[in-house]
Amino acid sequence: MTTLSRTKAAAGQRARDWDVLWERYGITVVLLVAWVLAALFTPNFATKDNFFNMLRQGSFVGVAAVGMTIAIISGTFDLSVGTALALCAWLTIWVAARAGVAASIIVGLGAGVVVGAINGLLVSRVRIPAFVATLGMYYVVRGFAFIISEGAPATFNGQSFVWMGNGSIGVFPVPFLVMVVCALVGAGVLRFTAFGRYVYATGSNSMAALVAGVPLRQVTMLVFMVVGLFNAISAVLIGSRLYSATAALEPGFELKVIATVVLGGTRLAGGRGSLLGTVSAALLFATLSNVLNLFHADPFVQRVVEGLVLLVALSIEGVRQRIAERLSRTRGVVAEE
Amino acid sequence: MNGLSGLLLKLWRSYSTGLAVLVVGFVLSLLTPNFLRPENLLNVLGNASIVGIVGLGMTLAIAAGMFDLSVGSTAAFAACITLSMVPQYGVLLSVLAGVAVGALIGLINGLIITELRVPAFIATMSMMAIARGSALIYTDGRDVYLFGYPDYKVLTRPLWGILPMPVVLVLAILLVLALVMAHTRFGRYILAVGSNLSAARRSGLRSSLVTWGVFAVVGATAALTGLIVSAQVLTANARLNVGLELSAIAVVVVGGTSLTGGRASLVGTLLGSLLVTIINNGLNLLNVPIFYQQLTVGVLLLGALAISVGPDFNPMTYLRRQG
Repeated sequence: MTTLSRTKAAAGQRARDWDVLWERYGITVVLLVAWVLAALFTPNFATKDNFFNMLRQGSFVGVAAVGMTIAIISGTFDLSVGTALALCAWLTIWVAARAGVAASIIVGLGAGVVVGAINGLLVSRVRIPAFVATLGMYYVVRGFAFIISEGAPATFNGQSFVWMGNGSIGVFPVPFLVMVVCALVGAGVLRFTAFGRYVYATGSNSMAALVAGVPLRQVTMLVFMVVGLFNAISAVLIGSRLYSATAALEPGFELKVIATVVLGGTRLAGGRGSLLGTVSAALLFATLSNVLNLFHADPFVQRVVEGLVLLVALSIEGVRQRIAERLSRTRGVVAEE
Repeated sequence: MNGLSGLLLKLWRSYSTGLAVLVVGFVLSLLTPNFLRPENLLNVLGNASIVGIVGLGMTLAIAAGMFDLSVGSTAAFAACITLSMVPQYGVLLSVLAGVAVGALIGLINGLIITELRVPAFIATMSMMAIARGSALIYTDGRDVYLFGYPDYKVLTRPLWGILPMPVVLVLAILLVLALVMAHTRFGRYILAVGSNLSAARRSGLRSSLVTWGVFAVVGATAALTGLIVSAQVLTANARLNVGLELSAIAVVVVGGTSLTGGRASLVGTLLGSLLVTIINNGLNLLNVPIFYQQLTVGVLLLGALAISVGPDFNPMTYLRRQG
């Protein structure tokens, strides 16, 4: 090996190191920078009330995104979370008004896991591709939610129920703490359990994983149940936050959740991703809309900004790839495939 | 695959959706006498055409191995622009402008996918938020009314007193796209890109151009759907057609276009939208509560897929970057 090619290899290694660092911590650094900038230039952003309220607002999507992160790492995803959210929230409130808070949480979470299990069966046993299976379930669940609710909202504002979405422990909002716990549990499962390793293996190369003895069907099944569970936790929190829910709660929630996961650096193609990134992305979206609110920006502008942020974040990699290709081409080196 | 079983499979693939339409139609005509009344049938055809138009565009995207999630927002944005233009510029110019806006949004989608190398799924998901937000900003969140301009009703009014205009439009678009798919290089390139992107590229095909073209077509059809919906009520707002992207993908899939890419069944897509519309119409006529209609699409989709998905499906096709 000549000195020249060794230097080149070292440069390549350094570039890859930066890639890894950017992928793991980039969005978290962006979040912290955004907080510093917002504190410096946005009046009232750094007040206690506003900051912790922002944390609360970001947590509802954040909790559901924890489950979705695991699904996307395993190379699949779930479009039914939006309507499942409405179903679970409606059920939770309806039961809470009749049988108490504990029962309502059990029913709400149970419903989420059941929806997830059906998704899992459709994907792993009936072998319908996840995209269409969960798209079908999106409609089925919404229809079911409308049928059992007869289109009417459920409402309940018992104090201990409402506390879950609106209360705080110390300065920290309850939903934020729930999100932190969920992310820690999720990260622990991904890192320290066989299931977690199977999730990464399935996502990076499902054929290889199958050959290596990963029980693909059971993993897929479990992944969808996990998505359902975290989504249902989010549903309980949102139901409690709003005191009421209809079968049409939060349209477009599924895409919001997927956008958060993707912004957090998890690859849609599977195999790579982190919960730190997901949580940071959820808070970054919340920070953005909070800052825009504080500047009295048109609420409509927020949608546009959200889309642009997602686009910019996701195009960084592709644009860098292109620049690298152009550089190597001008230097007369064959582009890496 | 050979012999009789192969032939049967091929027939089943080509005609199962059409068969389902006939069976459902037959059952409904037995259950309720109102189903076969001409007004009702024309109504069904009209409604099926509306989602059918954007479904035809989506068929091209899926044949090329991609999705467009921004069609609902594009439809809303285009409808808002067109309706606000009609009083000043007249119907024809405004409609053309609306469709052009749709095509432009689609073209931007294509550019984002090929030039920034963002996967189509994410690019169009971002565009979904951006176009919807732009529509909200443009209309300031208000409705755009068009009372007193009955000319604009031309998009829904029956042609020659019989055929609803959406049906005429959808058939015209079907004809054009079918000719494009069968007889032009663009059509063949779409299928080539959809069945094997890297092979297509290695054989010297400029896949970027194909992507731009496909998304421009999807955008234009989405805009047209939005215009027709707004013409029905002579009103448009930024919340128009929420969820259109999922129903468009659903009718394409029910119509039998393979999600693996590389194949397009345009007629199937129209039959798919006809099937969904007929079932919902039947439920209406039978006085089934409207909530049950929400189930139809889902159950149909799962049923169609459970029957037709082969073991060779590779979901990764949808998530790759172009580059």
